[in-house]
Amino acid sequence: MNLQGELKGLVFNIQRFSIHDGPGIRTTVFFQGCNLHCFWCHNPESNPLEPVVQYYPAKCILCYRCVELCEHHAHDSIDGMHWYNREQCTVCGRCVEECYARALVIAAKPMATSEVFDEVMKDRLYYEDSGGGVTFSGGEPLLQIEFLVELLKKHQEAGVHTAVDTAGNVPWEWLDAILPFTNLILYDVKCVDDAKHRQVTGVSNRIILKNLENLSNRSIPVWVRIPVIPGVNDNPEDMQQIASCLTGNRAIQQVELLPFHHLGSGKFESLGKEYPSKGLKPPSDEQLKSLAQVVESFGLPVHRKT
Amino acid sequence: MDTFMETKIDYRQRIESLAQTKLEFNRKKITRMGYHDTDDHGDIPWDEPIPFKKISNHPDGGSYGARCIGENFRHWLDVHPVYIHPQSALAGCLVGVIPGFKESRWKPEDRPTHLYPLHEKYHFINTGIGAMNHMGPDMKIGLDLGWGGLLRKIRHYREYNHPVDTSFYDAEENLVLGIQDWIRRHVIKARQLADQESDPLIRQNYLDIAEINEYLVDGAPRTLREACQFLAWFQSVDRMWFLGGALGQLDELLRPYYEADTAAGILTDDQVLWYIASLFFNDTHYSQIGGQAPDGHDLTSKMSFLILEAAHLVKVPSNLAIRFHEGLNPALLRQALIYNLQDGTGPSISCSKGLDEGYIRNGVPIQLARMRAKVGCNWTALPGIEYCHQDVTRQCLIAPFLIAFYELVDDPTAPRTMDELWRRYEYHLGISVDVLKEGFDIHMTKHADNMIEIVLNLFSHGPIERGLDMVAGGVDIYLLTSDGLGLATVADSLAAIEQRVVQEKKLTWEELAEILRNDYEGAEAVRLMLRNIPRFGTGGTRADYWAKRVSDLYVRLVRSTPTPKGFTIIPGLFSHGSILKYGEKLGATPNGRHAKAAISHSANPDPGFMPDGSGALTAKSTAVALVQPGWGNSAPLQLDVDPHLLKESGGLEALESLIRTHNQMGGTLINLNIISKEKILEAHKDPAKYPDLMVRVTGYSAYFYSLSPEYRQQIVDRLLA
Repeated sequence: MNLQGELKGLVFNIQRFSIHDGPGIRTTVFFQGCNLHCFWCHNPESNPLEPVVQYYPAKCILCYRCVELCEHHAHDSIDGMHWYNREQCTVCGRCVEECYARALVIAAKPMATSEVFDEVMKDRLYYEDSGGGVTFSGGEPLLQIEFLVELLKKHQEAGVHTAVDTAGNVPWEWLDAILPFTNLILYDVKCVDDAKHRQVTGVSNRIILKNLENLSNRSIPVWVRIPVIPGVNDNPEDMQQIASCLTGNRAIQQVELLPFHHLGSGKFESLGKEYPSKGLKPPSDEQLKSLAQVVESFGLPVHRKT
Repeated sequence: MDTFMETKIDYRQRIESLAQTKLEFNRKKITRMGYHDTDDHGDIPWDEPIPFKKISNHPDGGSYGARCIGENFRHWLDVHPVYIHPQSALAGCLVGVIPGFKESRWKPEDRPTHLYPLHEKYHFINTGIGAMNHMGPDMKIGLDLGWGGLLRKIRHYREYNHPVDTSFYDAEENLVLGIQDWIRRHVIKARQLADQESDPLIRQNYLDIAEINEYLVDGAPRTLREACQFLAWFQSVDRMWFLGGALGQLDELLRPYYEADTAAGILTDDQVLWYIASLFFNDTHYSQIGGQAPDGHDLTSKMSFLILEAAHLVKVPSNLAIRFHEGLNPALLRQALIYNLQDGTGPSISCSKGLDEGYIRNGVPIQLARMRAKVGCNWTALPGIEYCHQDVTRQCLIAPFLIAFYELVDDPTAPRTMDELWRRYEYHLGISVDVLKEGFDIHMTKHADNMIEIVLNLFSHGPIERGLDMVAGGVDIYLLTSDGLGLATVADSLAAIEQRVVQEKKLTWEELAEILRNDYEGAEAVRLMLRNIPRFGTGGTRADYWAKRVSDLYVRLVRSTPTPKGFTIIPGLFSHGSILKYGEKLGATPNGRHAKAAISHSANPDPGFMPDGSGALTAKSTAVALVQPGWGNSAPLQLDVDPHLLKESGGLEALESLIRTHNQMGGTLINLNIISKEKILEAHKDPAKYPDLMVRVTGYSAYFYSLSPEYRQQIVDRLLA
């Protein structure tokens, strides 16, 4: 495969048999980089716009190959233990290439559009049978706008249903640019109170809500996804505020409540960070049901568990 | 029974009682006999000694040939205990296989000892030689004739054919007489139990059982309950003979009785559930529901749903399969998946496209192909007309590979290339396949002199009419079977050598050989380096290429010529649950597998094959579809799914779509578990905490509790991946 001259983007995961990112059986392509900093994020390795090294000490087999290879002294062997010094690391990736125990990992890698396309098309027959397709998510996929548009065009030309999962915190022009090639938008809404939004995500929700409003006048269907976060929006008042914001938006077909979970907690440690959500209790089924009823009372269909 | 009494019966409670008894029996069996690393059979624990003494007719103590076999079977039936569960609709349960008749044995002078060194070299554990009871009966023969009719048929053809040697007919006659006497003893017992019983409903049940069975000693079944009772007798007797296991297209066998009884107003659906649950309590023979008639129309009926529901209610490992085809009533599959989600496992899904389109390539009309029913853990068979000898012959794909590899390395003149390795592998696998073919010819020639299919002969078209055992001309279609195993182990090993040794030159062939011979001691980093290459299952990798190539090679070698005597073999890819047994005597392999460790499972990629360590269901499905042998026998897809994935709206639809697509791609069989990682880990740690947890090991299901820790590990590994 000749990838010279092809547009490339940074992707940190491609997940086949995704059934929660749009209709049918899908493949979800996760883009690296996000301009929100939600504390509950379960893919913290995806947040920076460049690759990061994750280190899982429990998997290390003390072969010290990384110590031999590293020219930047980011790896050391002290008293029979392996030490990884993140400050010294330039993320050159040499140690990762030869860490066969997968204790050192760089999730994000540059991929050409054809590489992504070939991977997605492996499951083409399943999309055709199930009404599925491809979903571009992340991170925030619109931060790599040219790469995203190229991929959307390529997949749509091949007859594959396309969906984009976005937090919406980008210039409207970027959203507008993807709409001709997108069959479905998955749109994340956390809360309406701007001060709270800044506190928990690091950014204002002004552009996010405005973009959602703009989508109302376009013909692309939107599924709104509300992550239900303990202590943030897991209460009827926040749900009412969000639901009132969504009512009247003609593009919105359904709303999903995504319960907070602790999957991904280990990734914080692998990045040398504290896990910010320690001690938070995921919402119960009863609580979710009750919050869903609040949203439904505004005439909005809520996607449910079976 | 009068109507008033009928209204008092809680059939669901009776079924629950059977389920609880089954669990109690399972506990007792584990306590007495230890783990049971195979499918659940209907055998019950029995405390009293049974006065059986094997009748031998050979100086080596063995029992060979029809006459002696018939005598032994009769003797076993004469001493076999009588058992009636008070809450069952049916009498009879099996205590065990005829002692001395679990492992088939030939007279020493007939054994192919000249092949033993080659069996050892190429790692044949299941050679198929002398194997028993892996064909499909046509139970309609028995249901139409009853035991009395079968006896009259035997006597008629013995007289009509007037053979010089009547031992074949004498044996079959002995068997049926023994069954009839055994049934009579249950009639007596049922009346005795009725006399002692104070509960009027249970008392009446005993009396009903006595009446039904008194009739069935000679008569053909007239009602659904009688039909189920006949099948229960068959199941128990069939299991006594080398474990048996094949039943048939159960919904179609029972549908006429169900429709007649319902039209006559003498049957309710709750009663049906109880009868079927009682049949499953009696034994877990393999049966199929759904599927197609020879003309292609869907066979799903109300009976299909009732059988499914009964299996769900009684919660025994029921070994049921749904035969999926494009015209299958979608409600049947949907209901099966709903039960699967609730129970953790459920029916396996036999896929018509791969099975039928492959089978007709053997020169068989599509109408017949549709009649094959899934009546074994991995296999299908035509009912009563085919000697297919399924599931008893396994061809190890790994041993010839290791032989080829070491031979290359130990030959200093051999080019160190993949082409050379492949050439040698093809050579050794070819010899292994020739050994298999020679073994089949010996089996087909000698088997009937040693052992006969005394039970299945009764339920086949031809053996009684001709006086010939199934193996020796009793039936009309002879398409034998061989299942390759270890595919992913070989494919990943080839890819590892190609990438790490040939392309990247991380180590030499000689260094690799040394490391393998030392079972990776002191070389964990190398082991992980070999393991962490793009693996079979990912799609589009070199390992996927090698998997297809190995499968194609195996198929070509098996199909290119018949056996020397002209028998055709249909290749499959199947390991049963024996991945540990096969791995125990195999050395370390270049895919990072330690010596003596389990080998890969059937046609599945090894667990953890995707780069992030997981294994997407679509990837597995596509990988297994890629390597289907394509001649109508199975290469199953093992799917182990976390229920969290499916509990969202759309989850079951996605699973149905996966099944449809796998079928469309030429798949042959899907075995499904839906259990959470948390639960399986808890159960693995303390199985007694979940005595009723059932798992689909492969095409058969079993209580997790009854499996050994090592055997359970393969299921845990698949789920955790």
